[in-house]
Amino acid sequence: MEQKVDIQELDEKIKLIKKSAEELKMMADAFPALYRNSDRILANIKMLELNISDLLDAGV
Amino acid sequence: MIGEQAYWNPVLETLSQEKMRDLQLRKFKRLFQWAYDKSKFHRSLYKNAGIKPDDIRYFEDIKHVPKVEKAMMRNIQRKDPFPYGDALCVPLDEVVVYRQTSGTTGQPVYQADTWQDWEWWSECWAFILWAQGYRSSDRIFIPFGYNVFVAFWAGHYAGEKIGAEVVPGGVLDTQARILKIQELKATAMMATPTYVLGMAATARDKMNIDPSKMSINKITCAGEPGASIPGTKKRMEEAWGAKVYDHAGATEIGAWSFECEAQPGGLHVNEGFFLVEIEDIDTGDIIEDPGKKGKMIITALDRQAQPCIRFDSKDVIEWDPEPCPCGRTFRLIKGGVTGRADDITKVKGVLISPSAIEEVVRGVEGLSDEYEVIVDKIGDIDRITLKVELELGRENQRVAIENQLKDQLRLKTNLGYVLEFCDYGTLPRYDVKAKRFKDLRKAH
Repeated sequence: MEQKVDIQELDEKIKLIKKSAEELKMMADAFPALYRNSDRILANIKMLELNISDLLDAGV
Repeated sequence: MIGEQAYWNPVLETLSQEKMRDLQLRKFKRLFQWAYDKSKFHRSLYKNAGIKPDDIRYFEDIKHVPKVEKAMMRNIQRKDPFPYGDALCVPLDEVVVYRQTSGTTGQPVYQADTWQDWEWWSECWAFILWAQGYRSSDRIFIPFGYNVFVAFWAGHYAGEKIGAEVVPGGVLDTQARILKIQELKATAMMATPTYVLGMAATARDKMNIDPSKMSINKITCAGEPGASIPGTKKRMEEAWGAKVYDHAGATEIGAWSFECEAQPGGLHVNEGFFLVEIEDIDTGDIIEDPGKKGKMIITALDRQAQPCIRFDSKDVIEWDPEPCPCGRTFRLIKGGVTGRADDITKVKGVLISPSAIEEVVRGVEGLSDEYEVIVDKIGDIDRITLKVELELGRENQRVAIENQLKDQLRLKTNLGYVLEFCDYGTLPRYDVKAKRFKDLRKAH
């Protein structure tokens, strides 16, 4: 009863927001609010990876 | 509508077992490499065993990875960096949350988590809550003393994550908590089975409030196996007029299992996030087939700061041969966690699990929710004393209740007991984890 979801498409969008969040964090050396909030966004993005992107490895 | 969806993750929770094994293997390899690279403790453990990341190529290779026991974690804590020791895989300044185990089986173990780990904790709990029917329309009351124990902290954050409204019932006494549930018309709560029953007794006996007439319609239990023990579950459901669901987790592991709305008589393992192996207690072989009990060896596949890799949990479990009617392909463990390998003890040569006695006591109508089991020795002979209480107003039924209790104990545990009937309210009451089983033989 596997669900039909386009994991590939979702993963591409996750990669995009991850790239943006990583870039924000790299630009945040002198900006604690930017650094810490980018860091938290990345932790959330990791949850998207666990729920979505990792499934690609399992051949979904 | 999102709220009508049955699964938190509709792909992962319905994945075929074959694809799940692939996913678990890939995740295990990633985690093993991470721990090997970042943790002095793990690298040393694996080097001594002659195993390195490249050696794990097939699923069957996992069972050759050395297990980690709680005692090892305690020893690690004596090393740097303080206070976690050298299993820590991240710099100390990336640790954002401290927790510790309750110390039920000895010196507490400290647990470090990064913010990513903490997101992971609440993600694991989101699977639990969604499967138990929690939705954004729920108002969840958490009657928990928010402290160093992880317990319902993650349930709190997961409640927020799924969009529900969470009421932290921390520094309130039991009566104030009951009044707050009543005032806010809370629809759900989370507590240990002991406290769920204790709250109901307080409402009835001290406040003249019938908890079954209150607004709670579902309860999630953790910390003790009671919600998977049919007699205890029935008592809680009747007392509160609510569905009661079990969940098993641990500080050093994570929230690894849950009962779903179908209440199939067991717990789903969240196999997307955890790898559970069952080891034969006598032979050490991995049990693949349902129907045979063993102890759980568990890996939290995505935990970062302080990895949990093939942790010997001592929890006794068995695979359920039946699939769950809810449609999840996450496998079920039958009857939940039925005991602990270090808790199941021999009395008079017979293996006995405290949960088997609880099942009997809670199944006898007329007995209160409290009981105590004391095992000691008279000369060379083991003696088991079971202390119980009659409910108020049941004194004239004592003989019938005692006979029923004796029969059920003999039938379900194959042992004879010295029964002591105590006055109602005289046995100890517990707010969190109860200690109702006392083996005094070791002191002799």
